[in-house]
Amino acid sequence: MSELCWTSMTELRRMIATKKVSPVEVVRAHLDRIAALDGKLKSYITVLADAALAAARAAEAAVTSGGTLGPLHGVPVGLKDLYCTKGVRTTGGSKILADWVPEEDATVVARLVGAGAIVLGKLNMHEFAYGPEGLNPHYGTPWNPWDAKTHRVCGGSSSGSGASVAAGICPGALGSDTGGSIRIPASLCGLSGIKPTYGRVSRAGVLPLAWSMDHVGPMCRSAADCALMLAPMAGYDPRDPTTSVLPVADYAAALTGQLKGLRVGILRSFFLEGAGPAQRAAVEAAAKALAGQGASMEDVDLKSINLAPAASHAVLAPEAYAYHEAWLKTRASEYGADVRERLRVGAFVTGAEYVKGQRLRTLLKNEVDAALAKLDVLLAPTTPIEATAVGQDEVRIGDQSLPVRASLIRFTRPFNLTGHPAASVPCGFTAEGLPMGLQIIGRPFDEATVLRVADAYQRLTDWHTRRPAATA
Amino acid sequence: MEKLTVDALRTQAKAQGLELSDAELAALLPLVEAGRNGLAAIRDIPPETEPASQFRIF
Repeated sequence: MSELCWTSMTELRRMIATKKVSPVEVVRAHLDRIAALDGKLKSYITVLADAALAAARAAEAAVTSGGTLGPLHGVPVGLKDLYCTKGVRTTGGSKILADWVPEEDATVVARLVGAGAIVLGKLNMHEFAYGPEGLNPHYGTPWNPWDAKTHRVCGGSSSGSGASVAAGICPGALGSDTGGSIRIPASLCGLSGIKPTYGRVSRAGVLPLAWSMDHVGPMCRSAADCALMLAPMAGYDPRDPTTSVLPVADYAAALTGQLKGLRVGILRSFFLEGAGPAQRAAVEAAAKALAGQGASMEDVDLKSINLAPAASHAVLAPEAYAYHEAWLKTRASEYGADVRERLRVGAFVTGAEYVKGQRLRTLLKNEVDAALAKLDVLLAPTTPIEATAVGQDEVRIGDQSLPVRASLIRFTRPFNLTGHPAASVPCGFTAEGLPMGLQIIGRPFDEATVLRVADAYQRLTDWHTRRPAATA
Repeated sequence: MEKLTVDALRTQAKAQGLELSDAELAALLPLVEAGRNGLAAIRDIPPETEPASQFRIF
C-alpha cells in the first residue's frame, strides 16, 4: 500500500506545491486503498472516484501553470454524509434520504473545495447522526480498524469519518458533533478531532440533529492537520445566523509547541473518577507530560455537571423530534429501530421541560466559563471506555455495569450544551490495543489554544502516529 | 408527579398525530419516564437563570 495514504495533510500539501507528487497520484492511491479495504470497513456510502480524479487533474494543471494554490490544494478529504453536496446524493445515513440530491453545497464544503481540497466521497454515519456508536442498518456498520477480528464500533455518529481516516483511506474528514460525534470516534479510532466553539463554523447546508447543539469540525490524524483543515472552514457565514463575526485566529501560527506557563485544569469528579482505569491512567500520564513542559495543573470540579444528561435530554430530544416529525408520521418504518425509538421520545418532552433544559445550559456554561477565567484549558478523558463490540449494550466501569450508549456520550455532551471548543487526541492504548482519547476544552473562540496544547502534546508522544496493524 | 402509563402515553401520542402500537408505547415508556423524572428531580435552578436560547433581531 502506498505510503502516500499515511502522509499528513500538511505534508501532502507541501509535496504537491513543490511538485514532489501529483494530486492525481495522491487521489489514485486513496481510491486504490478504498477499493482494497472498504468492502469490509464500510466507511464510505458514496465514492466519487471520477469527480475526484477530474478535480485532481485540474489541481495538477494549476500547479504546472504556476497558479495560486489554496491551503488544501490537491489534498483529499471525506465528508460525513450529512453535508449537502450539489449534484451528489446526501443520505444522512438514512433510507429516507437515500436518493436525495441537494442543489447546493454546504458552506463548509464550498469553503474546503475553494481552499483546494478534493472530495473523495461521502462517509457513513449513525442514521441521521442520532447515536454515539456509529451503527447503520442501511449501509452497514463501519468496522473499527483497530481490531481486525472483532467487529467493534468506531464511535459515532461520525463513524465512517473515524474508520476512513484511521485506516488511511482518507487523510482528513468532516464530522459533526451534537453530543460527541466528532470526539467519540476520534477517541475510539485513535484520531485527532476538534469540535469548535458553537458559532465558529457554519452549519448551513448540514442536516441538523439538534440545531442549538450541532457543531461542525474536522477529524484528522494530527492536531496540526486539524488546524490546517479548520482554518478555511471557520468564520462568519450569512447563511447561518448563529455564526460569529469574531475574527478567525491563525491556527497554524498558534502551533508553537510551547506549554510553559499554561494553566491546566483537570476535571476530576464525574470525568476522571467516572472513567475506566486505563482511561484514567492515560489522562493522568498526559497531564504529567504537559506538566513536564512547564504547564501548571490543578483539579477542577463543575458543581452542576450531574445535570448535563437531563439538560441534554430536554434540549436535544425535542429539537430532533421537531425536525423529523413529519417523517415519523408518514415514513416511520423506514428508520432503523434504535433511531426511530430515540426520535419518538422527543414527542413527550413538554415546552416547560425544554426551557428548563435551556436554563440548565446557562448554569453549566457559567460554571465552565468561571473555571476557564483562571485556567487556559481543561482536561478530561474523551470517553470512559474503549471501542465495544457491535451489539454489546452494557459495559463494566469499575464495579458497575453501565449502558454503552450513555457511557460513550457522558464526558463529551456537556460541551455541546455549553458550546465551548473541545478536541480529542489519542493518549494511549488499552492492553487489547484499542485507542483512548484525551479531551482538551478551551475558552469560547479560543480554538488556537486548544490546538496548541493538542499539537504540543503530540510533539511529546507518538500515539497519533501509530497505525492499525490490519491496515498498515 | 403522577405515574406515567401506556394509556397516558397513548393519549399524548394521539394528540400529536402519532399512532403507536401497544408494543411501541411500552418500549417508549421507560425512556420517557427516565427523562421526565430526571428533569423533575432538578429543583434548585437560581430564579435569575435565563434560558440559553436567545432571540436577536439584529
